[in-house]
Amino acid sequence: MKLNRSSRLGREVRVAWAIANKDMHTYYTRPASIMFGILFPFSLFLSFSVGRNVPIALQIPILIAQTLFFASSSIGPVIIPSERANQTFDRFLTSPVSLLAVLMGKTLAGLLYGVGISIIPILVGIVFFGSHIASLEALTACMALSALGFSAMGIVFASMPGQSPGQVMMPLNFVRIPLLFISGVYIPVRELPSWGQAVSLLSPLTHTIELARYALGGETFFGPVVNIAVLAAYTAVFLFIGIRFHIMNQRKE
Amino acid sequence: MRTEYAIEVSKLTRKFGDLVAVDHIDFEVKKGEIFGFLGPNGAGKTTTIRMLTGISIPTEGTASIMGYDIQHHPVKAKEQMGIVPDISNVYNELSAWDNLIFTGRLYDMPKAYRESRAEELLKMFGLYERRREKVQGFSRGMKRRICIAMALMNQSSILFLDEPTSGLDVQSVLVIRDTIRRLNQQGLTIFLTTHNLEEASQMCDRIAIINHGRIAAIDTPEKLKRTLESVQSVEVAFETPPENALKELEKLPRVSEAVKAGDKFRLYTDDPPGVLTSTWNYVQNNNLKLVTINTLGPSLEDVFIKLTGIRPSTVSQETASQNREGSGRDGGRRKMRQ
Repeated sequence: MKLNRSSRLGREVRVAWAIANKDMHTYYTRPASIMFGILFPFSLFLSFSVGRNVPIALQIPILIAQTLFFASSSIGPVIIPSERANQTFDRFLTSPVSLLAVLMGKTLAGLLYGVGISIIPILVGIVFFGSHIASLEALTACMALSALGFSAMGIVFASMPGQSPGQVMMPLNFVRIPLLFISGVYIPVRELPSWGQAVSLLSPLTHTIELARYALGGETFFGPVVNIAVLAAYTAVFLFIGIRFHIMNQRKE
Repeated sequence: MRTEYAIEVSKLTRKFGDLVAVDHIDFEVKKGEIFGFLGPNGAGKTTTIRMLTGISIPTEGTASIMGYDIQHHPVKAKEQMGIVPDISNVYNELSAWDNLIFTGRLYDMPKAYRESRAEELLKMFGLYERRREKVQGFSRGMKRRICIAMALMNQSSILFLDEPTSGLDVQSVLVIRDTIRRLNQQGLTIFLTTHNLEEASQMCDRIAIINHGRIAAIDTPEKLKRTLESVQSVEVAFETPPENALKELEKLPRVSEAVKAGDKFRLYTDDPPGVLTSTWNYVQNNNLKLVTINTLGPSLEDVFIKLTGIRPSTVSQETASQNREGSGRDGGRRKMRQ
């Protein structure tokens, strides 16, 4: 086929972008995306923060982290089971692109959703509660790495057999909700017992909260370098596992 | 890559646990051919198509598309094909135009080219005026046309069609059949699975019949029919058939089997002239009035029944058996002699 442009890598990137672009148009406004990606983190935040004697400005990093966490990880589990149900996912498998490019497109859609939605709490914090950005680099790293990692986490869960978002959301929430308790959302990491701090170190959400807090002029228990390193490691692991799981799925088809 | 065949399949096998869905099948499809792939539900048709198009991975064996092995050169092989699956897997939330443009982007077609191709195809399928409408509001036939247009976006060499006319209105069926013929005349190789034996007989250059995961026969429709020359029949219709006509006709000399087909009775025999005479006697003795009487050669349906063993009496047993096994992939329709 002489119609296609030369570079294989360039082609994969263009197709991944085309998939992400289509997903943005098609799935961002789906009720499941809005409920699990936006309403869920905001409701959790309100139920946690209302009535507590802590200034809202100090809680804004938690809202940013929760939004990144829930929004980014919800898109894959909304899109992929829906596409499996109406067999549009087969279109990708029969297209002349790699499975990696397809999953990168899906991951990109989750990343952009998470970043886009998390800008709302940042603006709310700055405009209404006097938050200020102390480190733009840390904020950028926090948003990019967290959104990418959590989106890839969503892709891992979306590889589970199931043809409706609910079938994937249930096990995903089985993991997401407990992570809230060990990640310094309700109890700061500093106040946890030493075993709790060790467990907290293993949660990617801990590092998103810490990095967001650091970016807005707060303290970080583990330090920004550790936060970035752990988030980067999780991103790589989730991407790898996501691709492996989808290949295993294809073998079962 | 130069090769005489559009599709070459060797020892292709797919197992799901202990179940062998496709069992070491071999066949070739010549370039420019319309190749029919027939078989009863659960015979392995869709599993075969899914392996040929790269959706699922074979347990054993190889399949090449225009000389490119689908396992070792999937990108090259997939560039050669367009696919219309058994359900119209269009993006309902997108417009007709956006569905085609997105398909063009999946094939990395340059912008100007994908736009001109989308316009050409939408005009060809009579949907250009409705290109801005979301596909979710389209009829089943229109969605099918969009699905075929999407499969043609990349100007492939082979078009896989899985039950393309199933469940459509007559107008859509005629449009799709006409389009398939025209595309084939332009050199496109067609791999067609269908339950409609008449459609296969009219359209296909060659037909493969698959049953229980194995190829039962491959040949031209006419040669397949000739393998069953012993299966001939006399078809008769009465103005007012007696209540017990079927039982009485079955008892006529030289009639091996009598089957009711709509308002007609079909009497299978190896001696049509003899059965014509005895039928005429039956008409006279019972003071009946004939509407039509014809002698018929074997149909593709007869060949299908002979090779697959699918008969009305076996259908209920098979259905029960399929239910016990938890079903195969190939839907729930069954065309049979009634």
